[in-house]
Amino acid sequence: MVGNKELQNEIRKIMDHKDVKYVLAYKKGTYGFQTTPFFVSKREEVSQVIFSPFCLNNLTMYIKNEYAKEKIGIVVKGCDSRSLIQMINEKRIPRDRLFIIGVSCGGVIDPKKRSKRISEPLENVDVVEKDDKFVFTVNGKKQEIPKREIVFDKCIHCEYPTPLIYDFLVGDKIEPLGKEDYCDVKDFEKNSLTDKWKFWEQQFDKCIRCYACRNVCPVCYCEKCMAEQLDPQWLRRSVNISENTVWHIIRAFHLAGRCTSCGECERACPMDIPLMLLNKKVEKDIKELFDYNAGKELDSKPLLAIFKPDDPEEDIK
Amino acid sequence: MIIDKNKINAFINQIISDHIVFAPVKNKDMVLFKQIKKPDEMTLDYNNSRIPPKSIYLPQTETLFRFSKNQNINLETPKKDGRTLLFGIRPCDAKSLKILDQVFTGEYKDSLYLSRRKNSILIGLTCHNPSLNCFCTSVNSSPADTDGLDVLLTDIGDKYYVELITSRGGKIVKNFPGFKPANKEDKKKKEEIVKKAKDSIKRHIKSERLASILDSIFENKYWEEIARKCLGCGICTFLCPTCHCFDMQDETAGDKGARIRVWDSCMYPEYTMQASGYNPRPYQMNRIRNRVFHKFNYLPKNNQVFGCVGCGRCITECPVNIDIIEVVNQAREVKKDE
Repeated sequence: MVGNKELQNEIRKIMDHKDVKYVLAYKKGTYGFQTTPFFVSKREEVSQVIFSPFCLNNLTMYIKNEYAKEKIGIVVKGCDSRSLIQMINEKRIPRDRLFIIGVSCGGVIDPKKRSKRISEPLENVDVVEKDDKFVFTVNGKKQEIPKREIVFDKCIHCEYPTPLIYDFLVGDKIEPLGKEDYCDVKDFEKNSLTDKWKFWEQQFDKCIRCYACRNVCPVCYCEKCMAEQLDPQWLRRSVNISENTVWHIIRAFHLAGRCTSCGECERACPMDIPLMLLNKKVEKDIKELFDYNAGKELDSKPLLAIFKPDDPEEDIK
Repeated sequence: MIIDKNKINAFINQIISDHIVFAPVKNKDMVLFKQIKKPDEMTLDYNNSRIPPKSIYLPQTETLFRFSKNQNINLETPKKDGRTLLFGIRPCDAKSLKILDQVFTGEYKDSLYLSRRKNSILIGLTCHNPSLNCFCTSVNSSPADTDGLDVLLTDIGDKYYVELITSRGGKIVKNFPGFKPANKEDKKKKEEIVKKAKDSIKRHIKSERLASILDSIFENKYWEEIARKCLGCGICTFLCPTCHCFDMQDETAGDKGARIRVWDSCMYPEYTMQASGYNPRPYQMNRIRNRVFHKFNYLPKNNQVFGCVGCGRCITECPVNIDIIEVVNQAREVKKDE
């Protein structure tokens, strides 16, 4: 588990020696198990910085619209580091503008799974990792829960618990926690077309078009989103199954070959829409068709900027 | 009055026969208000619905009128709904409707909203187990607030304690034979449950002089700090029981179309965008400040109510932990910009 002291020391060091505008990190949130994104710009604030299995946010979304000339420090988990690679590869932000503090992560806790096991008190909570378990202390009472039962699904299949790029790593390198076998997608693919459609209709029917899925996504950064265009209007403002479906399909397609499976869209969704099932389907198809996976290799070209003579599509030849 | 729990289903069946009944319905991990046709579709074991029941009176998407063109232009207004009844609404959500009533009966009377409200009966359910982020007691309310309700039920074990608030609430209760007079013991039990619920509320907004404190920090870096981590999504406003802003659009296909209104959010950049391209609230800081001011400064000043009922939805659902309780309480500590 990452030591807060080591993390804080590293942040102090880069604030002293590198010309960073601010460092994006986490601090304790306002209640219970919450943590919150923290823009550290003063040295005296550094002592509030933490890292724990409650640090869910992918902080890289905060630099998608960052046009400052100065350097920015950022704390990233393994999954978040893939978003950075993708953003750098898409030339959204130059690598040399970032000072990346990687943190090794044994999985972050899914609030939905957690709430079924432990109710959230206002304060006096703590969690520590102990082998393959988390030990929660709530108002002095200890409770052990196996990690696999309480982390996000993405963490169960995580192949990159150690960030793929960093300038400094806090914590030891960790072996992969699992393997991405797309089991949920494969299970879902077994359903009939009618059942699949019915499932997604039920999901999209719930959507309230708050656009949290878009806004929280590190690679959803169009200056003018097609959802807001009025002329031509690709998407009506009416909130109904038809328009919601258009929104979700376009969102998934615009992320094809770009989504790095950080899962933030699904986490942010207030209506519990399983967006990762959609994202993962697209990711799996792309892996099978083009042997491509986004956000893994620095300086590789984005999928839609690559041409290969052995492309499987007939019409490309 | 009281009603035995085992008679509730018969009561619901009776009201379903002459009302469109909305009640909390479980949808996997969340509860939503839906129209029910049978009593067993609903759940009363819940804290709060994910979407507030404002959506029944101010639907997220609503057709104002349809138009079509043959030789002439034809206009068609939508049919009005029949009599509705909300069963199991929480006191905070009922109170929010009173706040919306003030908005929609102002200078312009909103006939669609008002006709729905006029024909609707609210049977509330005391909140006996408030959630972590509930703070209704800070905004002139309580888990058993009767404001805006016609009837309030309180779960006192094997029966509900029944309070009749309005005459139409009384009428609906009188029409069902299952209601009996309450005894002293029932009343005592109800009071104990309400006290326990109130005492279990751990979070509070300090609301004294709040409007004037906010006035003094309108121009302050404080808002930039809060806005910095804001995603600019619509969760807090769409799930807020008192947020009521809407946008209007003409949606056409061929020679047919409709003028619709949809919920809008002051968190969105185009919310106050003017035709010229000028936006008086150009940054997230302006927008988030507007959300706080609307609830804790403008509405208290103009309508003498907080624009917040303390339901805690905006806190619980915010993906980045922007917490209105902290935002407001810390606003009191803010030092003036130098």
